[in-house]
Amino acid sequence: MSEATGYFVRKATGLVRAWSAFDAFIYAFFSVNFVTLGMYIMSFGPFVPQGHLLPAAIITGIFVTFLVVVYGGLIATMPRAGGDYVWQSRILGGGIAFVLAVTGWWFILWHWVPIYGNILSVQFFAPILATAGRGDLAQWFSTPAGIFLSSLVVVAFVAYYIAIGMERYAKIQKFCFWGGIVALGIVLLLLLVGTQGQFQQAFNREAARLFGASGDAYTQTIEASRKYGFTPPPFTAMPLGPSILLIPMVVFYLLWPNWGATLYGEVRGASDYRRVFKGMFWGLWITVALSVLFFLLVAKTMGWEFYQAANSNYWATIYAPDKAPKLAVPLWPYPALLAGWLVDSRVFQVVLLACMSLWFWGWSGTVFLSSTRVIFAAAFDRVLPEWAAQVSPRSHVPTGALLLMVVPSIVVSALYSYYPGFATYTLDATLVIAVTYVGSVVAATILPWRRPRLYQSSPVARYKIAGVPLLTLAGGVTLAFLAFNLWKWVTDDTYGVNNRQSAIYMLILYALALVIYLIARIVRARQGIDLAKIHAEIPVE
Amino acid sequence: MTKVFFATDLHGSEICWRKFLNAPGFYGASVLILGGDMTGKALIPIIRAERQYEVTLQEHRYVLKSEDEVQQMERRIAGHGYYSVRISRDEMTELQADPGLVERLFQKQMQSTLEQWMALAKGKLEGTPVRCYVCPGNDDRPETDEVIVKSEAVELAEGRVVEIDGVEMISTGWSNPTPWETYRECSEEQLTTRMAPMIAGLRDPGRAIFNLHCPPYASKLDEAPALDRELRPLQAGQLLRPVGSTAVRDAIMRYQPALSLHGHIHEARGVARLGRTLAINPGSSYEAGILQGTVIEIDARRGVSTYALVSG
Repeated sequence: MSEATGYFVRKATGLVRAWSAFDAFIYAFFSVNFVTLGMYIMSFGPFVPQGHLLPAAIITGIFVTFLVVVYGGLIATMPRAGGDYVWQSRILGGGIAFVLAVTGWWFILWHWVPIYGNILSVQFFAPILATAGRGDLAQWFSTPAGIFLSSLVVVAFVAYYIAIGMERYAKIQKFCFWGGIVALGIVLLLLLVGTQGQFQQAFNREAARLFGASGDAYTQTIEASRKYGFTPPPFTAMPLGPSILLIPMVVFYLLWPNWGATLYGEVRGASDYRRVFKGMFWGLWITVALSVLFFLLVAKTMGWEFYQAANSNYWATIYAPDKAPKLAVPLWPYPALLAGWLVDSRVFQVVLLACMSLWFWGWSGTVFLSSTRVIFAAAFDRVLPEWAAQVSPRSHVPTGALLLMVVPSIVVSALYSYYPGFATYTLDATLVIAVTYVGSVVAATILPWRRPRLYQSSPVARYKIAGVPLLTLAGGVTLAFLAFNLWKWVTDDTYGVNNRQSAIYMLILYALALVIYLIARIVRARQGIDLAKIHAEIPVE
Repeated sequence: MTKVFFATDLHGSEICWRKFLNAPGFYGASVLILGGDMTGKALIPIIRAERQYEVTLQEHRYVLKSEDEVQQMERRIAGHGYYSVRISRDEMTELQADPGLVERLFQKQMQSTLEQWMALAKGKLEGTPVRCYVCPGNDDRPETDEVIVKSEAVELAEGRVVEIDGVEMISTGWSNPTPWETYRECSEEQLTTRMAPMIAGLRDPGRAIFNLHCPPYASKLDEAPALDRELRPLQAGQLLRPVGSTAVRDAIMRYQPALSLHGHIHEARGVARLGRTLAINPGSSYEAGILQGTVIEIDARRGVSTYALVSG
């Protein structure tokens, strides 16, 4: 028996002490993932020629903080619920929740697999093979067959993570986190102590040695970009308007700090809410700070114009191969690869790249984990058939959920790799999840009125500004932010998702989810199960 | 065909208990089964000052100036599953100095709350065809059984075979050892011994319901956050570990009952098939006032025909 501030507790199962806020931070930080998602999307910066990534990252961080307030509030109000599907079911109803969650956390994650595959290809296979002297194989990984193989490797690894269970996966994640942090620290240190002259020399040396480039490859890279039509602006030019247009890209990595903690104590209150909030908040803002530091170091050592030019040249070879300049280094300009060249040692470079890949291996399991949770929750609610949540009694592997993820992911990866034009559909990946977020944020915003008892029993109920619930205010700001992004995605060519085929494809995904729900309602009604009552509140009196 | 509503781990939440009693009308169930852990985990003192009361709830200090406000706060505290007690500052000091006194106060509050719950059950269920079975869990003190036995509306299910429209059910709220050393814990061997006479008393174990508070080991219905020695969740609760009972798993795998009902691990809400047995842990969200449960249609001849996990 113990006494704590204001209350006594007795010996009872599940009464745990407060968990480490630092651990919660690790999960949020890893979900945002500065390296895999961050460095990848930063390379798209030249698509908004006058925009600057630095203010875009800071402004995005400010707005995503409101999202963190909202999700922290939902976790505090309905702890251990498992996420968007259950929150939305309780507040908005089972049908809306199913359509939004299934599309956002299941169907669209099939499309994240080839994106993960692409990241694996450009951040692991290609740079390591190139460094090992197999430039031909490295370039093969950017061919359809190479990307498809990378996607299959992702599927295999993630399926393995699901199969071994959360306990072992969590241990792998923690190992990868610390290993990745050390590797990133070395990359940043190299950029800090290296000079631009040393970098130019190293780049020219490796471009010649690995790819047979001749002359001043560094200067050629910048000139090639100018000839292609992109003149990189200097680092100090940070116009606000164009930089804001980069936000719909930057959210590709900064929108996910809420994937962190969902744990919440049974007999505590506001301190748990603050702990959940802090984990996500610091996960977000340490990443923003890292981004700023990275931009400064890139500008100092690589040269901002070179970095932007290299990125522009690379994407030109993908999206406008006819007009694209010839690359001195025909690889995605992975900053860790380029920084590693400051040390003239093959072994060091390979080890550094291998250690940096821990950012990928530790994080990659997230692509199926959230899907598995949604599939399980929907199967328990009887919207999906029972086999979808089946777990093998011998191996403890969730075979049904894995099948529902793995098979479509392989099909989508094949289409992405071999079917021209399909890749643009995967650009909807962030958009569809943002729509799911809209559902949860709307639920949180109206929670105080829609479910007053639930809201009043939550520790967030006492947080108000000018008499308005903090949850509602933060929800309003987040909705405006998400609406801005959605509006830009569907109206602006820059982001590549505002085409008719993409819209039709997305609508098909939503329609598929709706059809599954409606069929489930009819089938279950015949079996005597009223799905409308699954989440309906029983009267208290 | 009998429609059963099963919920578990209410932990003193009066809102959940009231919802539980209203479940027959809401879901059309004729049988109510409550798994273990009815009693609350925390005691909130409402401290009497000169002309007001003071209370700290969810780490926020409230000053209550009228009897109406105090009663409102007491209802709010009960809604969370906590017990409230009005005491003076001196009594608070005594409680802080004497764990034995706190234990006795807990016992008193639990007993009086359970008596109120039984009275509520009588008011709701008397005169209806609904049968209600309760089996206290490892967190419930032994005295809990005495209160339930006296109830006219609720039947104690612990340690015996109960017949529900031709379907037999055995129940126990005992669990394998936990880090909290609660009231009804025993070794796996003792748990097997405890279940054995009940199982022996079944006409056909393959058609029965095993209402066992502790979930079967490694069934996904038993995954709880792994803890360090100081009972802190490891890796922010992301590191999950099976903590269920091997004795329960062995019993299910050996006798293959039609249905097994479990609780104990609040976060492990789910359904599993263990051979021919449908095993369910509806989980618990008592502190949010959400009654998680399961609605099952079962027949003595055909076994379970439908089921659904619900959040009422």
